[in-house]
Amino acid sequence: MKAIEISGLGKTYKGRKGTRIQALKGLSLDIMQGEVFGFLGPNGAGKSTTIKALMGLIRPTAGDALILGERITSCTARRNVGYLPENPSFYDYLTAEEYLTFVAKSFDVKGNLLEQRVAESLKLMELWEARKRPIRSYSKGMVQRVGLAQVLVHAPEVFILDEPMSGLDPLGRALVKEIILDLKKRGKCVFFSTHITDDVEKVCDRVGVIVSGQLQALDSVENILRSGLEGYCVQIRSGVKRLDVFDGFEVLRTHDPFVEYMVPAARFNEFMALVGHHSAEVMFVETRRKDLEAFFLEIVEKGEA
Amino acid sequence: MLNLVEITLKSILRDRVFHGIIFSALVFLLIPSVASLSMRQMTELSMNLSLSLLSFILLLLALFLGGTHLWKDIERRYTYSVLTLPISRSSYLVGKFLGIAIFIFAVACLLGLVAAGVVVFSSGIYPPERPIAWDNFVAAVVLDALKYILVVATAFLFSSVGTSFFLPVFGTICIFFVGSASQQVYDYITAPATTDISLFTKKAATVVYYLLPNYSAFDYKVNAVYGVPIAGSGLLLTLAYFAVYALIVVALAALLFEKREMN
Repeated sequence: MKAIEISGLGKTYKGRKGTRIQALKGLSLDIMQGEVFGFLGPNGAGKSTTIKALMGLIRPTAGDALILGERITSCTARRNVGYLPENPSFYDYLTAEEYLTFVAKSFDVKGNLLEQRVAESLKLMELWEARKRPIRSYSKGMVQRVGLAQVLVHAPEVFILDEPMSGLDPLGRALVKEIILDLKKRGKCVFFSTHITDDVEKVCDRVGVIVSGQLQALDSVENILRSGLEGYCVQIRSGVKRLDVFDGFEVLRTHDPFVEYMVPAARFNEFMALVGHHSAEVMFVETRRKDLEAFFLEIVEKGEA
Repeated sequence: MLNLVEITLKSILRDRVFHGIIFSALVFLLIPSVASLSMRQMTELSMNLSLSLLSFILLLLALFLGGTHLWKDIERRYTYSVLTLPISRSSYLVGKFLGIAIFIFAVACLLGLVAAGVVVFSSGIYPPERPIAWDNFVAAVVLDALKYILVVATAFLFSSVGTSFFLPVFGTICIFFVGSASQQVYDYITAPATTDISLFTKKAATVVYYLLPNYSAFDYKVNAVYGVPIAGSGLLLTLAYFAVYALIVVALAALLFEKREMN
């Protein structure tokens, strides 16, 4: 089942002196229920514009989008969505407990369930002790945690998170990753934008890269990592009489009595055959691949060119 | 929407500026002393000053709350969180308006009680020649509250399109002054004795009279101070005018706010 369907979404802003700025150019994207989707892109690429359009904050000038089958132009499309804005700001005269109660009530959560959900979310985000303090007294990281708590409090099916790790310390980031993976296990859809490729690599099923308002790449994280396979680093003990048999392979490091070779993926079997034939001892084999960051930078460079 | 009304009321009650404005209500305590300067009309003067002070406080509250409430939500980026809840923008705006309207009305009632206490105290020191028209006093307070709720509606209309607090605050002040004087201007230009005014000026004044809120229609202070009877039909007409005008202005504000981009 499609959780988010974006078809030909475009947004053009009117600039000064009649100029037009195309922030989003015909974006089409489907995100399935139960999928964790990472939306990558440099600053000003159109990530936040896409998310704002999905959340009804701005009106697209072209195309359309549906969330759980409801058009984004209707506020009912947001009935089952938990949204965390970038650098969130909440009514700071309220306490975290009051704010979460307000959000839960807006989603028609009532009675004991409301109290239970508010308490659970506060405890999960480690805000229980500070729940009676006004939000204006919170640190940036705590406000971000309130943002995540208000996303969880009404147990939606779709989560749209704009830079969810922003402002969090390493412990907070680990907690958010854990929460996202838990949501995935529970079959929820998580769509989040980020600059940090490592976050995407660890939690996402698929990734989309947007550059200058256009989707430049869309693939599963697994495929990207597989396609980025450069070869293997193989360390052997140099008990071999004739090391020159490996001459066609790049030596990465020599540390007597060990030698490390860079073996291209296509020649791995050939290398291993030589190892077997000359009774060399393999100490370890390590996969060498481009990480998601290299993939991302490549796409951005291509997109900007 | 009730949820939003509740949040709006909390935000007002926890605002320091509101505390400052309410603190100014202490001036009520000075009224009997000032009124005692007029030996023969102490009760009338007390009532006049009390109703004027009440009106002034309500004006400050209406400008402060109506002109800055919506703008503050946008400026501080609260709207990014609230407007992405399953609440339509119209509901958000109407919820905020109702919250402020309820608050203005509650403050008017509270200050009305304080003003009544001041009048009773003054009349005890120097009894009036005629009985106090308490029903007129109540009508004056209630209609004053409605007038300032209409001021809030006007401020919301400006806030729905304004990108700073200048337009909502100063636009509302301008409309308030023009709307308070439009009845007198209209009466003057349409009087048979007025002949030296061009047709264009007459038409323009007539358009302004019908288009802008007629705030003087809500002024029953003279009736309260001097016990001048209030015609029931006139009162009903003013109430109907308030309901229709407020509805149109708030609906227009909601319509404009629906179309606004939250960049």
